[in-house]
Amino acid sequence: MGPLSDYSDAALVLAVGRWREDALAEAYRRHAGASFALARRLLNDRQLAEEVVQEVFIRLWHRPDRFDPERGSLRSYLLAQTHGRSVDLLRSETSRRRREERDARETAESAPDIEREVVDLTVAERMKDVVATLPADERRAIELAYFGGHTYRQVAVLLDAPEGTVKSRIRSGLKRMRTSLVDAGMGTSWDES
Amino acid sequence: MGRELNHAELQELLGAYALDAVDDAERHAVEDHLDMCRQCRAEVSEHREVAAHMGAGWMPAPEGVWDRIAGALEETPPAMRPVVSMDDARERRRRRSLTGPMRAVAALGAAAAVAMVAVLGYTIVDTKERVGDVAQSLEGNVARTAEAAARRPDARTVELKSTSGALTAEAVLLGDGTGYLVDANLPQLPPDRTYQLWAVVGQNKISVGVLGPRAGPVAFHTSGDVAALAITEEVAGGVVVSQATPTVVGVIA
Repeated sequence: MGPLSDYSDAALVLAVGRWREDALAEAYRRHAGASFALARRLLNDRQLAEEVVQEVFIRLWHRPDRFDPERGSLRSYLLAQTHGRSVDLLRSETSRRRREERDARETAESAPDIEREVVDLTVAERMKDVVATLPADERRAIELAYFGGHTYRQVAVLLDAPEGTVKSRIRSGLKRMRTSLVDAGMGTSWDES
Repeated sequence: MGRELNHAELQELLGAYALDAVDDAERHAVEDHLDMCRQCRAEVSEHREVAAHMGAGWMPAPEGVWDRIAGALEETPPAMRPVVSMDDARERRRRRSLTGPMRAVAALGAAAAVAMVAVLGYTIVDTKERVGDVAQSLEGNVARTAEAAARRPDARTVELKSTSGALTAEAVLLGDGTGYLVDANLPQLPPDRTYQLWAVVGQNKISVGVLGPRAGPVAFHTSGDVAALAITEEVAGGVVVSQATPTVVGVIA
């Protein structure tokens, strides 16, 4: 095979399975930025987000067999791992305390956050169009669940809606977006380079 | 959650599950169900792809994180490393679902494993075993996808056979050219030989995959009007043009 940069994600994970650290480094090069951006967005805490990224990639090293290329891209797998771990932290008491301490510290020091999220403009623009096609109640339920880290029960309380309704809105909204993504030619592909 | 959820109720949870928006009991119930239900697994995968697009931001990975990851990898030697044998969520879920005497048997097994870990400190997994696990997992995934694909209305099943009929293979070909070699009973070849899969389009035999010395489940892609599939035996690495007589051939009806 050629250089690692030419490997498909599936081939890369197989190479990770052969304990090739350079293959893990290539996976990190491709996907760590997205993983970090998501963790940062959810946790609003740089240090915790770094810990999540670290954990996600070390987990890929130890358990590459958990990635199933037939069930989605490596990007979506790693982002699902990132999201799950971030939500765990978000819901944990320790995290809450740390965020409160950090907020207090930052307010005292007025430290400017000079980092800026760089978004893949093409994906972001198309995704904006896709999200815009959702009915407002579905969009709100999905955003509160995914980016707010809330359970659907918590979302139901926040939106003052029945739990069953929120559950259905999340599912139907995701299905609607899936259809729009496929129509827009963005089904499951991610740039692997 | 006091009672078992039925299929419709579990399906309703799939969106929230994919966004990590369910409680622990519901998550366990969905995961147990996903182990058995391909349809729901596929739906969760689709939801997760959508979620990944929603979270499609990108920031430069922070400095120092890769160094910390690489440092953590170096703590254990590359060919041998400690593996906590109980660290397997699927296994944990399986144990949770066991009842009565089966749970007791599983508990005995767990106790024995814990005792072994206590004595040895760790269990050793060598590189070959790990690669085999990953490859087997990937093959298993292909096999599952192929099974699901075979049920699609545009799926055509292709039976490949040797002249004597003793050697067989089965493939599924979809309307968009995606194909899966599902099963093959071809003998294992020596390491310097490989099986190669071909699609016959018009007068041309087009290589669609070098399968290695053992022909296992694999996904492939064809284009054009495929009249037949064939598997030949070639030198390791495969060939551009085959002169070999096909080991098995299947004409597409």
